[in-house]
Amino acid sequence: MTIATFSDWLSNTAPSQFIQVTNWIIPTMQTIHILCIALLLSAAVLVDLRIFGAGLRSETLTQVADRFVPKIWACLPVLLVTGLILIVAEPGRTLGNPAFYVKMISLLLVIGVTLWLHRYARSARPLSALPALLAIVSVLLWATIIVSGRLIAYIESI
Amino acid sequence: MIHSFAEWLQSLPLAVLVSESWFPQVESAHVFALTLFLGLLITVDLRLVGWGSQHMRFTQLSDQLLPWTWLAFGCAAITGGLLFMANATTYVDNVPFQAKMALLVLAGLNMGFFQFVTFRGVAAWDDRAATGAARWAGITSLVLWTGIVTFGRWIGFV
Repeated sequence: MTIATFSDWLSNTAPSQFIQVTNWIIPTMQTIHILCIALLLSAAVLVDLRIFGAGLRSETLTQVADRFVPKIWACLPVLLVTGLILIVAEPGRTLGNPAFYVKMISLLLVIGVTLWLHRYARSARPLSALPALLAIVSVLLWATIIVSGRLIAYIESI
Repeated sequence: MIHSFAEWLQSLPLAVLVSESWFPQVESAHVFALTLFLGLLITVDLRLVGWGSQHMRFTQLSDQLLPWTWLAFGCAAITGGLLFMANATTYVDNVPFQAKMALLVLAGLNMGFFQFVTFRGVAAWDDRAATGAARWAGITSLVLWTGIVTFGRWIGFV
């Protein structure tokens, strides 16, 4: 089964049809998705800033990471559920879209980077090139996720 | 009046450039900046309301976060202005856009009142969850910004 036939099948199922005819569901899910991204992104950026000694300087890096990394993990399930509802609503728009796969690959990478950075933050090691680089990579990956997420609306599905 | 202004704005070379070539990119940058801004603002608002960061003084948290919050807001405002220019004549008649702008004005007033009036009494609640006017400023801000994101997302659906 190709992605296109799966998308066609999914868009004809009852849940997909229900979302498609209920106008408020898609913008509401997108709004919740964006609010959740706001909480997640600010948490990630606060950890990354603290790695460079900026932002919440009155706390140690360990304290900032222990406080904010769990917020990143807490946001992900909400993003997953709202994201899945949006896919079910318009499978053709998303599943055949290169931007969607860029977003998902970046997400997997940033989860790994965040796990590593949290471990580094707890180790109380001094700042070196690798954590500095990964902190920058983390911000760039979150930016890629947000940008490619928005570009799903503009890039043609294959 | 407003329509002729919108037409003039939309005819500027910069507006034409955005609308013809850069709209998705500017919109992506807008989403990145606004989610960062919003997440940081929510962190400060929640501290006021008494949720999170209670081990820090309010002024300690706000002094460390607000410079980054305003930086992100500046980027969101600039990219938002560019998006508006690109389709000004459509947006001025778009009801969710009008609602978003109205709520932005209210959020500004709420922030101004908090900064110049309520904040004078910060000593009374700096080291604990705020009560009275300060608490209400936080709640009002959270409600207004949720509304701003909601209407912002709705702009594309009407």
